[in-house]
Amino acid sequence: MADFVLELKGITKVFPGVKALDNVHFQLEQGEIHALMGENGAGKSTFIKIITGVYQPDEGELYLNGHRIEIRNPKDAQKLGIAAIYQHVTCYPDLSVTENIFIGHEKVQKGTNRILWKEMHEEAKKLLDQLGANFDPKVQMGALSVAQQQIVEIAKALSTNAKIIIMDEPTAALTKRESEELYRITEQLRDNGASIIFISHRFEDMYRLAGRVTVFRDSKYIGTWGVNEISNDDLIVAMVGREITQLFPKKKADIGEELLRVEGLGKTGYFEDISFTLRKGEILGLTGLVGAGRTEVCQAIFGILDYERGSVHLEGRKVEIDHPQTAMKLGIGYLPEDRQKQGLVLNWEIGRNITLPVIEKLSNNGWLNDGKESEMAKNLSEKVQVKANSIFDHASLLSGGNQQKVVVAKLLTADLKVMILDEPTKGVDVGAKSAIHEIMSDLACQGYGVIMISSEMPEVLGMCDRIAVMREGRITATFERSTATQEAILEAAMMRGHAEAERAAI
Amino acid sequence: MKEKNIIAKKEFNLKSFFFQWEWMLVLLFVVINIINTFLSPYYLDPKKLLDATMTFLDKAFIVLPMVFVIILADIDISVASTVALSAVVMAVSYNLGVPMALAIIICLLVGTLCGFLNGLLIVKFKELSAVIVTLSTMIIYRGIAYIILEDQASGKFPAWYKFLGWGYVGGIPFILIVFAVFAVVFGLLLHKTTFGRRVYAMGNNITASRFSGIQVDKIKVIVFTLTGFMSAVTALFLTSRMGSTRPNVASGYELDVIAMVVLGGISSTGGKGKLTGAIISIFLIGFLRYGLGLKNVPAQALLIIIGLLLIFAVMIPNLKFNFKKWGKVQKTS
Amino acid sequence: MAEKVLNKSFNSINIAKFRELGLLGFILLLSIMVQLRNSSFMTLENIDDMITNTAILSILSVGMMLVIVTRGIDLSIGATLALSGMISALTVKANPDLHPLFAILLGTLIGMACGALIGLVIAKTGVPPIIATLGMMNVFRGLTFMISGGKWVSAHQMSVSFKGIATSSIFGINTLIFIAIVIYVVFYYFINHTRTGRQIYAVGSNPESAKISGINNEKILCLVYTIMGALAGLAGVLWVSKFASAQGDTAMGFELNVIAACVLGGVNIAGGSGKISGIVLGALLLGILNNALPLINVSPFWQMAIQGGIILIAVITNALVKRSVDRNNLIWRKI
Repeated sequence: MADFVLELKGITKVFPGVKALDNVHFQLEQGEIHALMGENGAGKSTFIKIITGVYQPDEGELYLNGHRIEIRNPKDAQKLGIAAIYQHVTCYPDLSVTENIFIGHEKVQKGTNRILWKEMHEEAKKLLDQLGANFDPKVQMGALSVAQQQIVEIAKALSTNAKIIIMDEPTAALTKRESEELYRITEQLRDNGASIIFISHRFEDMYRLAGRVTVFRDSKYIGTWGVNEISNDDLIVAMVGREITQLFPKKKADIGEELLRVEGLGKTGYFEDISFTLRKGEILGLTGLVGAGRTEVCQAIFGILDYERGSVHLEGRKVEIDHPQTAMKLGIGYLPEDRQKQGLVLNWEIGRNITLPVIEKLSNNGWLNDGKESEMAKNLSEKVQVKANSIFDHASLLSGGNQQKVVVAKLLTADLKVMILDEPTKGVDVGAKSAIHEIMSDLACQGYGVIMISSEMPEVLGMCDRIAVMREGRITATFERSTATQEAILEAAMMRGHAEAERAAI
Repeated sequence: MKEKNIIAKKEFNLKSFFFQWEWMLVLLFVVINIINTFLSPYYLDPKKLLDATMTFLDKAFIVLPMVFVIILADIDISVASTVALSAVVMAVSYNLGVPMALAIIICLLVGTLCGFLNGLLIVKFKELSAVIVTLSTMIIYRGIAYIILEDQASGKFPAWYKFLGWGYVGGIPFILIVFAVFAVVFGLLLHKTTFGRRVYAMGNNITASRFSGIQVDKIKVIVFTLTGFMSAVTALFLTSRMGSTRPNVASGYELDVIAMVVLGGISSTGGKGKLTGAIISIFLIGFLRYGLGLKNVPAQALLIIIGLLLIFAVMIPNLKFNFKKWGKVQKTS
Repeated sequence: MAEKVLNKSFNSINIAKFRELGLLGFILLLSIMVQLRNSSFMTLENIDDMITNTAILSILSVGMMLVIVTRGIDLSIGATLALSGMISALTVKANPDLHPLFAILLGTLIGMACGALIGLVIAKTGVPPIIATLGMMNVFRGLTFMISGGKWVSAHQMSVSFKGIATSSIFGINTLIFIAIVIYVVFYYFINHTRTGRQIYAVGSNPESAKISGINNEKILCLVYTIMGALAGLAGVLWVSKFASAQGDTAMGFELNVIAACVLGGVNIAGGSGKISGIVLGALLLGILNNALPLINVSPFWQMAIQGGIILIAVITNALVKRSVDRNNLIWRKI
C-alpha cells in the first residue's frame, strides 16, 4: 500500500524519566501540506527528530512510499529525500548563502577538490529565484534577516531534491508580510510535488496552508482531520482537552496590598510596553508561547538583563535593579527556566548548591561556617522533600524533579517577598510537580507574591489568581481566575488581535 | 518518611581520601627525590635542599593566584611581563632617588594595576577571551618595560634589599617563609572563605553563579588583580636575587607557572583542583630541576620535560574520562 | 522585503570593506607622514628592503589565519621555526655542497612533522590549543638547544648557495618575496576554491553543524596545524638564510607578531572568518611600523609596546563594531 509518502506507525520514544512519544501515528499524503499541532511539550519536536534521524525510536515503524525504512542519522534522511527546516536556523553565519545551501554536497570538478563556484552560484540563484527571493547568493549568511535565512534553508532542502520537507514553526519569528511570503513559497513547493509537514502554533498558518491537520497532546496521537471538517473550537479542545485533575490543590490565600508594580517595561527586540501588578499572597501566571518574551521580562526584573524603558516599583518605591544581587537584597527571587545550566552547579553537592545564594550570610565575616551551612541545607532539603540520602550527594545524580526541588530550596534560603518561577514544573515527574505546587501554594499563604511563567494550561488555570498572556513581546490579555478559560488563553496567545494586525500592516 | 532523614554529617571515606591527584603528586615527589639521591651523593643534604628552594620559589608566588585564575576557567599569560614591568619601574624609580621602601611599594602598585587592567578588559569585553586580552597586555607590559629601560640593566640596590632573595631567618630561607605565609593565606582564601567558594562556583557554572546573585565580574577583576599583585611580589624577590633587572627578565615564567598549576591537578576547564596540588608540583618541578642540575643535565632538557608534563597533565584526565565513558557503553550494550 | 535586503547586505558589506579600507587608509597616512619626516622612506630600495623583511611574517600569518579560523591559536611557531632552521643549518654545515632546495624541503618537512604532532594532540585528546602549543613550544625550543649543544651556526659555517636563498632573485623579484607571493596565491586558491579549504571555515563558523553536515572536524584541525607547522618550517630555513645565523633563541616571541598581523588583518579570534587580503595588509602595516619607526627617530624599543597597543585596539574595535551590528539587527525585530 503505497498511498502515503511517509507513514509512521506506533512510534514510541522514551527519555530517562519521560515518555516523549507514546504510540504515535502519522500519515503524509503525496503533495499535501499537513499541519502538525499541539501545545509546547506535546512531542512535536521529538517527532521531527525521529523523521530526520537525530533520534532513533524505541518502538514503531517508518514507511517511505510503502517500504519499511530505518533512518540511522541525518545523512540517511538526506539520502531518502527528507529535509527539515528548523525554528532556530542552524547555519554558518560566516559563509555565503551559496555555501550554506550546498554545504555537505558541494559541486566539485570531477576527480578533484575544486569547487565550481560559478555553477553553484548559478544554481543557488536559480533556487532563490524559484522561491521568489531576490537577494544575491554571494551575500554572507549572517547579514540576512531571519526570514531570509529561512528561505535559504528551504533552498538547501530543494538542492538536495527533498521530497518531504518538514517546517518547524517557520513563522514564529516572522512578521505578517514575511509570513505571507513563506505561505506562497510553501504552496509553490507543494505544487512542484513536495509533501510538507508544517508545524505551527498559529491557527492562521493552518487555515491558510494545510489540507489536513494532525494533533498531538501529552506525547500521544489525538487525531487527524481535514482542515475544513473541524471547527476552531473543536481543534482547541483537541489540543488542550484533558480534564483538569485535582493535581493542584491550591489553598486559599489572603490577597493583600500591592507588592510589585511594573510600568511600561521595554527592551528593543525583546519586549515592549509591559505593565502589571502583583499583590501579597497572589499567584500571577505569565503564559504564552515559548519565545513570547516572558522569560526576558522576568530576567529584566531580576537584573540579569537590562531594560531600556519603563520602571519597576517594589512596595510603592521605585527600584533600580542592575544585578541579581540587588534584586535578592530587595527581596525578589528568580527560579530559572533551565535548572541544569542556570540553576545548579551539577558537579556540586546538594548542600553547597542550596547555600550558594546566601553563603555570605551563613559565614562569620567571610569565613565559611560548615555547621550553619549543613544545618540550613538539611532543613531546606527536608522542607522541599528532596529524595536523597545526604546533603553531600551530587546534584548531577538526582532526577529532574529532585534537581528542581534543590533549585526551589535555593530560593527559600533568602528573605524574599516576590518569587518569580520560570517554568517550575517543566520536565519533572508528577510527584515532584505536585510537591512544587504545594510549596508554591504555601508560599502564597505566607504572604509572598508569586509570578509563575508556565506554558502548561492546566497548571496555569489551577494555580494562578490572575493570568497575563504574552504574545510577541507584548501582554495581549489579562484574566481573573474566575473568568479564565483554556480557549480564551490559547486564543490570546496565538491569534493576532485587531490592534496588532493593524500595527503589523503599517 | 524516608526523605525526612537527610544525613547532614560528612562520613570519612578512606577510599576517596586516598584516591586523589594530590597523593599521586606526593608519590611522584618521593620517587623523584629517591632517584635524585641515587644519582647524586650530594643531593640529600637538608641545608642544600633548603638553599635550592631559594632558586625556584620566586615564580611560585604567581602560582598561588594562577590557581584561582585557572579554576575560573580563564588564563593569564601576561604574568611574566607584569613581573618585568614592575621590576623595571622599581629599579628605575630607585635609581632616580626614590627611597627603596617607596620603590618597593611602587613595584607592588604597578603589578596590581597591570592585573586590574587585565581583569577590567576581560569583564568589559566578554566577547574577547582571556587568552587574547592577556596576550595583548603581555606584549604591552613588556613593551613598556623596554621603553623605560631599553636594553640596559638597572640595579645597585641598597645592601639590605639583598636579604629578600638571599637572607635566612633562623636557618630557613626568608623567601621560603614568605612563600609559606602566602600559601597559607591563599589556601585559606580558596578553601575556607566565601570568596573561594564563589570562585569554584563560577568555574563550574558561571551562568548559575550569576543567577545565584554572585557578582561574577567583581570576583573576576579581584582574581586578576591579585595575580598582578603576586607577579609584583615575584618581581621583588627575583630582582633581589639577581641584584639588577632588565626588561627581558622572567621571560617564559608564564609557561612554568601554568605548567605547575595544571600539573597540580587544577583542571584547565575550570572548577576543579586544590591549592595543595599546585604547591606540591612547585616543589616537584623545583627539586627535579635541582637534581638534574647536580647531574649536569642541561637546562634545555628541563624545558622539554616541563612542556611534556604540561600536555600530559591535561591529556591524562581527558583520556581517563573517555575510558570511563567507553566502559559504560560496553556494559550497557 | 526587497528594500530591506538591499539595505542590510549593504550594511554588512560596508563593515567588512570598511575595515580593510580603513587599514589601507591608515597605511597610506602613516607612509605619507613618515615620508614627510624622512624622505628616504619612499625610495625603491627601502621599500624593497621593507617588503623583504615582511615576507617571513606574512608567510606565517597565512598558517596562523587558518588556525585562528578554526577557533585555535598556535604559540609554538617561533620554536618550530627555530628547530627547523637549526636542523637545516646544521645539515648545510655538515654538507656544504647540498642544494639549497633540499635544505628548504628538509626544513618544511620538519616543521610539518611538528605541526602534525600538535594537530594530533589537539584533535584527538581535546587538550586546549593554548596549552598544547605552549607545551610544544617548550619542547621544540628545548630540542633546538639540545641539538645545537647551545652553540650558534654562524655565517661562515654556511655555504654561499644556502645564504643565497635570501639574497637571490627569481624573475627579478627577491626570492623571499617570490616565495611569499607563491604561498599567497596557492592559499588564496586553497581556501576559496577547494572543498577542504571551505570546510576549514565551516568548522570555525559552526563546529556542531559541521559535524552534522558530515565534515570530519578532527581531520580539519590536524590539517590546519600541519599546514601551520610546514609554513613555520619553511620560514625557519628562510630566516636562517636571511640572517645567516641559527641560534637556540631564533625567533623567540615571533609568534606574537604573527598573531598581531592576523588580528590587525581582521581575522576574527572567535573563529570562522579571515581573508588573505586582510592579513596581507596586517603584515604590511607591521612591516612598515618596524621599518619606519627607526627612520623617524623613534627608538626601536617603542616597537613592542606600539605593536601590543595596536593589537589591543584592533580587537576592541572589532568587538565594538560587532556589538553595534548586533544592536542594529535587534531593531529589525518587530514587536
